[in-house]
Amino acid sequence: MAASVRHLLKPWTPSLCFARWSRYNPYYLDPDPSKDAPDSELSPEQKELQELKTVRPIKAALSSDTSSTFNDPLISKFINMMMQDGNKILARGIMTQTLETIKRKQVEIYHRSPAAKRLEIECNPYTIFQKALENCKPIIGLASVQKGGKSYQVPVPLTDNRRRFLAMKWLITECRDNKHRRTHMYEKLSQELLAAFANEGNVVKRKHDLHKMAEANRAYAHYRWW
Amino acid sequence: MNLHKLSSRLCPTVSKFRHLHIQSSGQQLEAVAVETESTEPNPLSVFRTSEQNPTYHSERHTGQYYTLPPAHIQKLFPHGLPPRFQLQIKTFNEGCVMVRPPVLELISYLKKADYSKPPLRYILYGDIGTGKSMSLSHALHYCYTQGWLIVHIPDAHLWVKNCKELLPSSSRPSRFDQPIQASQWLKNFKITNEGFLSKIKTTQQYVWTKRESTEKGQPLGVLVDQGVNRMKSSSDVVGAVLRELRLQAGGTTEGEGAFKLAVAVDGVNALWGKTSLKKEDRTMVCWCKPEELTLIHNLRKMMKNNWSGGAILTALSQTGSLFKPQSAYLPSELLGEEGFDNMEPFVPVSVSNYNEKEFESCYLYYLERNWLQHPHSRSEEGKKELIFLSNKNPSILERLCAFL
Repeated sequence: MAASVRHLLKPWTPSLCFARWSRYNPYYLDPDPSKDAPDSELSPEQKELQELKTVRPIKAALSSDTSSTFNDPLISKFINMMMQDGNKILARGIMTQTLETIKRKQVEIYHRSPAAKRLEIECNPYTIFQKALENCKPIIGLASVQKGGKSYQVPVPLTDNRRRFLAMKWLITECRDNKHRRTHMYEKLSQELLAAFANEGNVVKRKHDLHKMAEANRAYAHYRWW
Repeated sequence: MNLHKLSSRLCPTVSKFRHLHIQSSGQQLEAVAVETESTEPNPLSVFRTSEQNPTYHSERHTGQYYTLPPAHIQKLFPHGLPPRFQLQIKTFNEGCVMVRPPVLELISYLKKADYSKPPLRYILYGDIGTGKSMSLSHALHYCYTQGWLIVHIPDAHLWVKNCKELLPSSSRPSRFDQPIQASQWLKNFKITNEGFLSKIKTTQQYVWTKRESTEKGQPLGVLVDQGVNRMKSSSDVVGAVLRELRLQAGGTTEGEGAFKLAVAVDGVNALWGKTSLKKEDRTMVCWCKPEELTLIHNLRKMMKNNWSGGAILTALSQTGSLFKPQSAYLPSELLGEEGFDNMEPFVPVSVSNYNEKEFESCYLYYLERNWLQHPHSRSEEGKKELIFLSNKNPSILERLCAFL
C-alpha cells in the first residue's frame, strides 16, 4: 500500500511545517550523518544508494545527531527516554557518568585480578550496555483483548522497536522508583546495568515474570486476530 | 587489532631512538648520578620512565609518566591530590604523573636557590585544567624526597566557603575560628611530617585555657595533639605551629634542628579574595572578610618573606574561587591588587595545555591502562576527534576519555 501511495505522491512538504511531528511523506529518505566512504570502497548496491541520496529529498536531521564516529543511535534513544522536561544536557550528563562509572568498576577489577582472569572481564561500557539491554528485552508480550464482555491478557509477538522500548523503560523506572533515595541516578543505573549484563537484577526478573505470564495465558492465544 | 599495529610501528622507531640517544650522550651517562633507563627492554614504555625520584627528572623525561610510590602517596598526600586524580589512582591501581617542563623549571629553581636568604615565592598560573595542582604535587614530591618539612594546604578556597561551624575566636575578640577545618588539617599535617614532630621544640609557652597550656621546650607533636584533641582551640594551634616552623626553619640552632620548610598553597587567591561566610552582628548580617578568619590571617603571615630556610610554592585556581569570572587566569586578575602587592616579588611559572608529544604520551598511557574502550577511539579518526574536542587540555581530555 505504501508503494502505491509513494507512486502517487511526488516530493511534497506541507506549507505549514510542524517541527515536533516527524510525519514525513514516505518518499523522504532518512538522514545519515556519518562521513561518506570514498567511492572506491563501495559495492554496486551502495553506489546505487549514494545516487539515490543525491536525487531524493531527505528529512531534516535531529540536532542531537553528529557526524562524529562516537555517535551511537542506541545511546541517543536511551538519553531521550531518560530526559525530563526537555533537559537533554542533564540526561546526557547522567548517561556519560553512567558509562564512566561502569568502566571504572570494570577496569578496577581488571587491574586487580591476575593475568589469567583478565581476558574474561569486559571493560567496554558500550558492549555492556548493549548486552544488558539485550538481556532485558522480552521476547513475547501481553495485549489486552476484549471478548464477550471480559478482557483477557493475550500473549502477542512484539516488534523490535517495542521490545527495545520496554527494556529501556523498565530500566529507567526501576532505577527511579525502587532504589534508595539518596543515591545518584548514574550509580543506580550502573548497578542495574552490570546486574543485567550478568542476567541478574530486578529488570531481568521482570522480563522473566512477563514470560511466565505469557506462558500461563497460552490458552488465550487464539483470541489474537492479527 | 589496531593496538598491535601501533606497537609494531613503535618498536623499530623506539629501538632506533634509544641507540642514537645512548651513542650521542655517552659522556652524559657517567655525569648523572643514577642511571636506570638504559636497561629498558619493554618497547611500549615510550611514555613511561622508571626514574621514580623527581630529583633526577630532566628534559629527557618530558612527556613521560613516572609512578608515585604508594607509600609516598599515603604519607605525603592524605588530602593533597585533586579528586579526579585520586579516582584515577584507585581505578588504575597506580598513581602516575607526567613530567612536564613547568615542573622541571620549578625544581631546577628549588635546587639552585640559596636557603640562607628569605624564601622565594613561586606562583603556578595558567588556564583552567592545564595542570597547576598536579605540577604543585610533583614539586612537593621532590621536596619530600629531599627530606623537607611539608606544609601543604590542598585548597585554600575550602577555608573561605561552606564552613558549617564558625565560632568567635577565644583569643581575639574580632576574629572567627574554624575548628573542623583546622583539626582536619592538623591530622593530615601529622601524617605527612611524623618524623619531624619529635625533633622540633616549642620556643615559648602557649596558654589555651585556664587549665591547659603547652610549656616551652615541648616537642611539636604535643602541640599538634593539643589541636587535634581540643577542637575549640585548633585554629590557634595552627597559628602557633606555623609560627614555630617559621622561627626554626633556618636551622640557626643546633645542627640537628636544621630543616627546610616547603609551604605549598593551592588556590592562594582565596587568601585575598572575598568569603561566602556570614557573620552576625547585633543588628545585621554581613560577609566575613578573610582577615577576620584566624586560619587565613596566620596563612597570610606565612606568605610573607620575613623568615628564611625554605620555599613558598603556590598555585592559583579559578575553579574554586568566589566572585571571579571564568576567563580570569593571570596572577593580577585572580590575586587582586591587595594580593598582588603582598605576593610581590614572586617567580611566575606558566602552565599550559599539552603539546603534541605530551598528548601522544597521555593517549598511549590511557591505551595501555585499558581506559580507552570505544573501538573508534583507537583509530586515527577518533584520535583526531579527541584532539579537536579537548584542544589538548589535560582535564577536558581526561573527562572525554572517561566515558569513551
